[in-house]
Amino acid sequence: MAEYFGTAVEDIFNTMEERFIPEGTHGVDATIGYNISGEGGGNWKVTLKEGTLKVERLDAEVTGCAVTLNAEAETFVGVTLGKIDAGEAFSGGKIRVDGDITILVNVLPKAFRQFTPVIWARDILATVRERFRPEKAEGVNMKIGYDLSGEGGGQWTVVVKDQTCDLKEVLDDDCTVVMRMEAPVFVDLNQGKLDGATAFTSGKVKIDGDIGAAGQTASLFEKYVAEGAAEEKGEELISLKCVPSINQRYATGPAVGRWFDGLKEKKFYASKCPNCERTLVPPREICAECRVRCNEFVEVGPEGTVTLIDVVYYASPDPLTGKIRETPYTALFMVLDGASRDESFAHDLNPKDIDRIKPGMKVRPVWAEKRTGSYKDLLYFEIAD
Amino acid sequence: MEISYENTKDCKVMTGKMALPNQYFAGRVGSKFIIALRDEHKILGVRCEKCNKVFVPPREYCEKCLSKLDESWVELSNEGVITNYTVVNYNDKHLPRRAPYILALVKVDGADTPFPHIVEGIDVEDVKVGMKVKAVFAEETTNTIRDLDHFEPL
Repeated sequence: MAEYFGTAVEDIFNTMEERFIPEGTHGVDATIGYNISGEGGGNWKVTLKEGTLKVERLDAEVTGCAVTLNAEAETFVGVTLGKIDAGEAFSGGKIRVDGDITILVNVLPKAFRQFTPVIWARDILATVRERFRPEKAEGVNMKIGYDLSGEGGGQWTVVVKDQTCDLKEVLDDDCTVVMRMEAPVFVDLNQGKLDGATAFTSGKVKIDGDIGAAGQTASLFEKYVAEGAAEEKGEELISLKCVPSINQRYATGPAVGRWFDGLKEKKFYASKCPNCERTLVPPREICAECRVRCNEFVEVGPEGTVTLIDVVYYASPDPLTGKIRETPYTALFMVLDGASRDESFAHDLNPKDIDRIKPGMKVRPVWAEKRTGSYKDLLYFEIAD
Repeated sequence: MEISYENTKDCKVMTGKMALPNQYFAGRVGSKFIIALRDEHKILGVRCEKCNKVFVPPREYCEKCLSKLDESWVELSNEGVITNYTVVNYNDKHLPRRAPYILALVKVDGADTPFPHIVEGIDVEDVKVGMKVKAVFAEETTNTIRDLDHFEPL
């Protein structure tokens, strides 16, 4: 694939959908043809109509559009990236426009966000030598390994020694620390889109070896700045990120303690109000309606009937582990067999059942193999059929 | 089963850790305040002309008359007076110092509002309301209020 300024013509058209701003095309009904000649070129037809976008690649020259742009691949990419002055290219005859040029000038900037070239892990690592800060590396002697998987991945070793820095395209066996992650995660980290501590606590980054050394690496290098990116400097605004680790201590009391004892034996215990006779799941010491102590426990479940389903798509941390949850996950509300009708109890649903789950369905608990009388004993519920 | 305060048979204590990814945005006014501490070692406040009050740390609106204040910056002294204090006597990892340390309300000269900060260089028994102090700035920036590291007696 022919590239100009590190970008292929195709990249520009392939990213149109994600750069599209539907609100920017209010009242617009236009077709734009692109005939890009030379190596890596091609013919594309872009249709913009009232907030919708269609990008087609054609086999032959595009005709019959409201406006058609003809240019060499290198010129087209250069102008798109701002490396070549559009006005000069136009007056110099390198870009030929047929039809209504105002569409290109007035509509396109509102309809699309600026194209930014894809940044690869390789591009970022290629700049480590020039970003190295020898003054911060006094007495530092280490090898930082990167094991990046997925698209654009690979293995690299950054060697810091005697206040010099070198890059090798191989993972040495004797690295001080090796950081393993998917290549796009590495790119996001270096662009500041992802915070290092969050990536680590959420398991996106795995660190083998000296964790302290991994933390030190950031100070050894200047921040990566993509070529040609954000040269204009705005007002400095301060935004701080941190991932505090908070110690938790939960005292169950006798009623919920009994509940956990039950889980160990694969049983659900509810407390029962001596006055209104409703069951409380999980058990509580006092019936909040009658305000009397509930001294009796009854066994309910283990199966239940679904009353409500919450499918959550927002990636929040799981308070029990601190890890960012896989999404979607489901909070399932159910009435356990034998429990009072209004006493629904919430727990997780096996993710494989998300597409099938409906209110009224019977569900059954799935237990941990090894149970110790804690919340970890009950894994989740699944459809019982 | 008898439930009473004495009955601890079924009581359990569970411990764990929670990681909470947080993001704090200082805002335009807060950013300017911290940047002045960091780059110029200056304490900035904002003045409400209507109420004739100077607020530190600066805020965007006057708490009394709700006038917008983000254009009325004033540079204040790095010296001030302790208007109140407490001694922190416990340790926790989120705290900025090991106990015991002094957390005082310091009103810098030219300001009408005090703000809390650490006071060092004096024994916790010897701190007094009315004591004159001066700001000591941090060598390493954290982009927080702690770019002003602490106050110490004059």
